[in-house]
Formats: sequence, C-alpha cells, structure tokens
Amino acid sequence: MSGYLLRRLFHAAVTMVVAVSLIFIAMRLVPGNPLLARFGQHPDAEQMQRIIHEQGWDQPILSQLGRFLHQLATTGDFGESISRSHEKVSDELARRVPATIELTVVAMMLAIPLGVAAGIAAAVWRNRWPDRLCMAGAMLGVSVPVFFLGICLRAVFTGMPIGFRLPAFVIDFEPITEFYLLDTLLQKRFDLFGTAFKHICLPALALSSIPMSIIARITRSSMLEVLGADFVRTGRAKGASTWRVVMRHALPNAAAPIVNIAGFQIGVLLSGAVLTETVFDWPGMGKYVVDAVRESDYVIVQAGAFVIAAIFVSANLVVDLLYLWLDPRVRHS
Amino acid sequence: MLTRRLALIIAGLLLVGCASRAPSKPGNTLIYGRGEDSKTLDPINAETGETVKVLLNLYDTLVAFADETMEIEPSLATTWETSEDGLTWTFDLRAGVRFHDGTPVDADAVIFSIDRLRQDNNPHASDPARPYKPSYRVIDEITAADPLTVVFKLREPSAVFLNNLAMFPAGIVSPTAVKKLGKGFSTNPVGTGPFRFERWIRSQQLVLAANDDHWRGRPHFDRVVFVPVAESATRIQQLVRGEIHIADNLPPAALDELAKNPSLTVPEEISMNVAYLAMQTEKPPLDDVRVRQAIALAIDKKALIRVGYAGHAEAAVNLLPKAMWGHHDGIKDRPFDPEASRKLLQAAANDNGFQLPLTLGLAVMSEPRPYMEQPLQIAAFVKDSLAAVGINLTIEPKPSDLHFARMMRGDFQIGLTGWTTDNGDPDNFLYSLLDLDNIGDSGNNVSRYRNEEVHDLLLAGQRELDQDRRLVIYHQAQGLIFADAPVIPLVSTKQRAAHTSRMKDYRLHPAMLIRLRQARFEDVP
Repeated sequence: MSGYLLRRLFHAAVTMVVAVSLIFIAMRLVPGNPLLARFGQHPDAEQMQRIIHEQGWDQPILSQLGRFLHQLATTGDFGESISRSHEKVSDELARRVPATIELTVVAMMLAIPLGVAAGIAAAVWRNRWPDRLCMAGAMLGVSVPVFFLGICLRAVFTGMPIGFRLPAFVIDFEPITEFYLLDTLLQKRFDLFGTAFKHICLPALALSSIPMSIIARITRSSMLEVLGADFVRTGRAKGASTWRVVMRHALPNAAAPIVNIAGFQIGVLLSGAVLTETVFDWPGMGKYVVDAVRESDYVIVQAGAFVIAAIFVSANLVVDLLYLWLDPRVRHS
Repeated sequence: MLTRRLALIIAGLLLVGCASRAPSKPGNTLIYGRGEDSKTLDPINAETGETVKVLLNLYDTLVAFADETMEIEPSLATTWETSEDGLTWTFDLRAGVRFHDGTPVDADAVIFSIDRLRQDNNPHASDPARPYKPSYRVIDEITAADPLTVVFKLREPSAVFLNNLAMFPAGIVSPTAVKKLGKGFSTNPVGTGPFRFERWIRSQQLVLAANDDHWRGRPHFDRVVFVPVAESATRIQQLVRGEIHIADNLPPAALDELAKNPSLTVPEEISMNVAYLAMQTEKPPLDDVRVRQAIALAIDKKALIRVGYAGHAEAAVNLLPKAMWGHHDGIKDRPFDPEASRKLLQAAANDNGFQLPLTLGLAVMSEPRPYMEQPLQIAAFVKDSLAAVGINLTIEPKPSDLHFARMMRGDFQIGLTGWTTDNGDPDNFLYSLLDLDNIGDSGNNVSRYRNEEVHDLLLAGQRELDQDRRLVIYHQAQGLIFADAPVIPLVSTKQRAAHTSRMKDYRLHPAMLIRLRQARFEDVP
C-alpha cells in the first residue's frame, strides 16, 4: 500500500515537472514581449533592453528553465508579475485559488447530488418518461456553452447579483482564508454570508451544468449495468424494498465510475473555469492565467501552470485512492 | 445520523444567510465600473489609461491642466518664472500642504519625486520600467533655493517642459512613505491629491477615501470604489441594476441605448485623440506618394463615422485634433473621390510597373482603444473602400501589444493605429508620430516618414518658447506632412460614459483626465 502510494507520488512529481517545463518553453517560443504590456504605446528601447538583460530573458531558454526550477525548488517563490508592477504572484494566487475552489465546491455540491439522483431515476425508470426527461436535460446541459448559459441566467434571474464575490460597496470585510463563505461565518458576519452566497449562486449554477449532465449519464449507464446483476435480483427476491435495493445494494457497486468522472470534473473545474469567471467577473485563477497569456506575462503563466498541474495531479491521486477504498478488487490486486 | 445533523446545520446556516437583510448601502460612496484594473499606484511606472485614472485622484502635480481645457494652472506650485534663456525654471510652492501621511510638501519632496522619475539607477525607483521617463530627459538638475522654492535647470530650452510637469508621471509623492515602504509604495501610495488611498484588492476593488485636508477643499464623495468589470455587457447590466454608478469604455451602440434610459446620463465631450491609417513608406508600393494619396481619396470619412463610431466622432484632416492648440485650420481635406483615386493609382502602377489590383495587408488591433472602439469594423470598412479602387486588403488582426510592436518594427504595409494626447502640445503628436528621430523598434513613427525639412521644423518647435512663432512652425510642418500623406488621419472621437442621473458634475476632459473632486450625488448634501 505505501509502496503504491510512493510510486504514485513519484509519478505525480514527474508529471508536474514535465507539464511546467513544456509550458515554460512554449511561452518563450511564441512571439511576444512581456514588457509591451508595461510600456504600451510609450516603449523606450533603452529601458526595455536593460530590463530584459536584468531578468535574464536574453539567455538560452533551457538555462532560464533551470534557473526557474531551481528558484522554485529552493525558495518556493514564483516571483513578481511582469505586466503589473510589484504584484507578487503567490499573493495573488493565494486569493484566486480559494475563489476558484469555492466556486467549484458549490458547483459540485449542486452537480453531484442532482446528477446522481437524475442518473438513478433514469436507470430505475428506464425508457420511461423520467429517463427521457433526465437524459434530454443532460444532453442539453452538456451541449449549451457555459458562457451562453451564464448570459441566460443573468437575463432570467434579474434580482440576483451578476458579478464579484461581494458587492463593491462592502469595504470593511477582511478575509482570513479567502474562502468567503467560510470567512463570513468565522467572523460572524451572517449578513455578509447571505450576500456572498447570493453572489456565488448564478456562477455556480452555470458552472455545474456540464459536470451535472456528465455525472447523470455515467450514473445511468453504470446503474443499468448493476441493476441487471444477479445480486440485485437476489436482493429483490429476499423482499428488500426498491429504495433499499437501489440505494444500499446497487449504488455502492455502481459508484466507482461515478467517483472517477466526478473527480476528473473537479480537476477540470479547479484548473480554472475561465468562461464562467469571465461572464460573472469571478476573480478566480482561470481568468488570471488566461489574461496573463494574452499579456505574455511569463511569470504568472509559469506559476499558474504549476498550480494547475498540482491540482490535476492531486485530484487524480485522490480519485485513485478512493478507488482503492471503494473497490476491494483493485485493493487486492 | 451524522450526515443528517450536518445537513440540518447547513440548511440552518443557509436560512440565516438568506433571511438576514443585505448590508445597507453607504449613501455617499461612488462605485466606478471600468474595463480593467490598475497596474500600479506609483505614478512613475504607470502607462495605461485605467492606471492613470486613479493616479489623477491620488496625486497632485506642480502645475495642472485646467478643468475643461489644456490650459496650465497652478497646483502645488502657485507661481513660476523662466529665465531669459529658457534654461532655468523657478517654482514657488504652496505653503502648508501636507501629504496624506502628514509629511509637509517642500522643495525636497518635489526634487525627490521628479528625480526618481527621470534618473537612471535612482535608488527609490523600485520598478525600473518607467514608460514616460524619456519625456523628462531635458531636465539637467533640480535644486532647492529655499524650502518652498524649486529650481529646474534644463539642458536646452523646452516648450513642452511645463506641460510635461502637469502630466501624471510627475505626481509628487511622499518621500517618507517611499523610503519607508520601498516597493510596497506601489500598493500603498501616499500623495497630496483630493483622495487618499484606502485599500486595493487587485482585480476586485480599489478604494479611495476623501482627503479632508485637500488644499482645494474636501471632495464631495466620502469614498470612491473602482471595480474592474472586463465584459462591457456585464458593466452595462450592472449599471442598469444599480450595482455600479458609472461605467466607461462602452461600445457606441450600447451608449446610444443607455442614453434613452431616464435614470442614466450619458455625457459627451470631444477628445484630443486621433485614429489614423499608417502606411509603411519605406517599401513599395507605399513609398510612392501617389499610392498613399489614392488611398486617402478612397476613404469616405463621413460613412466611416457612421459605421465605426455610431456618429460620435469628427473627421480628422491632420494628426493634430481640431480642438488642440496648433491645429492648422487652413488645410482642406482631400475629397472622397474614388474616380480620382483610381486614376492616381493607375498612373503610379504604370510608372512603377505593378499590376492592379494591388494586394496589401491591413494590420489592426483586435481589442478596442479609446480612439477606435470597434477596430475590426473599421478595418472591414477600409477594406471595402479600397477594394472599390483596386487595392485588395487582407485584414491581419493581432492583440494590441503585438500589433503595436510589429508596426514599430515596420513589419506591415497598411495599419490602423491612433494616439491620445499626453500633454496637450502639438509636439506630442507631430514629433512623436512623424519625426525621423522616432523611427525604430520602439519608435512611434510607424510610417517611417523621413522628411528633413519637417524634422528641422519640429526640433525648432521644441526649443522655441514664443507661442506665436511656434504656431507658424507647426502650421508649416502640417502643410508639408499633408502633401506627403505618410498617414491618413481618420477621426477624432467623442468620449462618452454612462452614469446614474443622481451624479452631477462628472467632467470629461479632452485629454481624458478623469478627476472626481467636483463630482457629487445631487441628493447628498
């Protein structure tokens, strides 16, 4: 078991180094100059040359990469943004990663229960109206682009806030963990908790549509397989209620693929829901990194690549460990 | 069991959250929605319009641009005089002014502020990227004659020196704060302006509070909160719903729509900017003046204003905007005349041995700029106009930074670009955009226009201190430039914003200086 874990951790580390190095090199190969965003229409060749030299951007890419990995390994410091003066990237990530995680958690709290419930309903009433309804909904959910759904939600729920984590006029709130729903409770600001919750509703709803639909479809097919199995028939035969058969016998056995896909979806959402963050001005990580790519801000893109790789790798690791716990066959092999 | 209890707790919390009322809105706080966040709060490192917008309210300069014109007024300096040779400028400072941290404003603070802007390796310039540093090269030395008198020694006489001191990079900063905070100053600024800094959460919220002791008097708003809302559609909805009080940088058609809303006001003001078509004059076929003139004849500026600006712009004849001092009113624009254009092009084709239709690239930025809110529509319009006279354009859109970089490299044929005034002086348009000194990888003479006669005139204009004689010089230069047609000026835009009708005295300035000290809510005493 511990050998397995060590091996997985080693794989995870290698994956991260490879991913970060590829992004590092790609950023430097595409045309663009990170100083252009700073100087705009007032470039000064003399100053720009000097800064490029000081930052070492005139050195070979591989030696820059070596320096970056060394700095990261020894100090854990990502450095400062290029396009914005003295913006410490780690400080900014410390705000943006929680914003993204909070949005993801709320979205998945909608997506997992509703998706699983819809999938079970579809499987139990196979080929009848609940099945058709749920699967049509799931088809719609995966195919409607998130930005379009976001715009529709904004238009329908006219009373709901459509941007920011809190209203702009709230200027006395000092976050501790940067998870606003948690921080407002910790500080006993129950009024702000309600406001923060309202602010997260529409973006979370928009973000949940795709994972919810995917989970519903996977749940349905996985449940159908299990519901046809012998032990389910046995369960029915011994007189267990349908509810008990489905929830107690069938669902745990159908859970592995659901956990797998849900874990993967969490990884996708955590690595930045760019579209949702853009439509609802949610100050999350995806938007941060995408804006940085546009401005050729190497430092932010590198740091973002590192964090996204770390999130993906650990989400996968957690899913694999859950698998071990859920499926004895994997555990024993 | 445990899960059920947990579910109850969560449900309870949600109920508490939803039942408690939203926090009441403070009545005298302005919420300002804008397209992007500030990049820094240190004036020496600023460049973008959104960054400058905040700085104008945090800092004062020695002299300032007037409320609605480019006239120079006293600010931290009350009076000033120039020596006979124009090399020595003496400023008397306003007595009793203090920075937001209580440090008194004296000659040393002024010297400290300007030196960190202009000197190489200044130890207090924590970020070396100072886009406006070249504008202050003319300063040789700054000294204090007494605590309230500053003396600037220049390397050569400069007609734009005073205007440059009124620009935001020359904002006077608290030396105490800079020395204490080091690079932290860029996120904890201390100036003397009408508003003082309160807090900044990057890309979420930037809060300024009224400076009760400002020498002009306290501003009306208690606070101003700047919030970046990248999508203009979101900004519009938030404005309509009252989540923000003002939104700017909106598309022209949306502004027309918002102007119909009775609870909103859409002020309009000319801007000292110009959108123009630059042509790479070093390479054939655009090295032939007839081809450039033919392109000018093919563009119907009136139609362009309808299509690209929803009518909210003025046709431009020169690079200098009409509203600006030094504009040559006597030059009559080339008419829209496709027939004449075709003939001119045919003549050039016969002499140079190229075939019609010509195929050329049209470089354009993919994001809006203040002088060009809809660059791609304008590119399409230019393409259609030139197709009618025998030039086929391929539109080549690029993100702004890359677009300007390639144009400066001279790596284009025809390109859309523009300029907004920095200091309100003709030099800032004609020398920056058309002088041969500014040809190069980071020079703004993207047309690579070389005319020794124009060069001599522009240099003379920089050194001449007599305004009447400068006017003659700049008129002459504009005449020569018009004949050579290295660029085709298209329009000067009208700037607009939309704000709640409760807000009064929000003043748009021709140089797009957003200064909020006079703005107020009408229902707040």
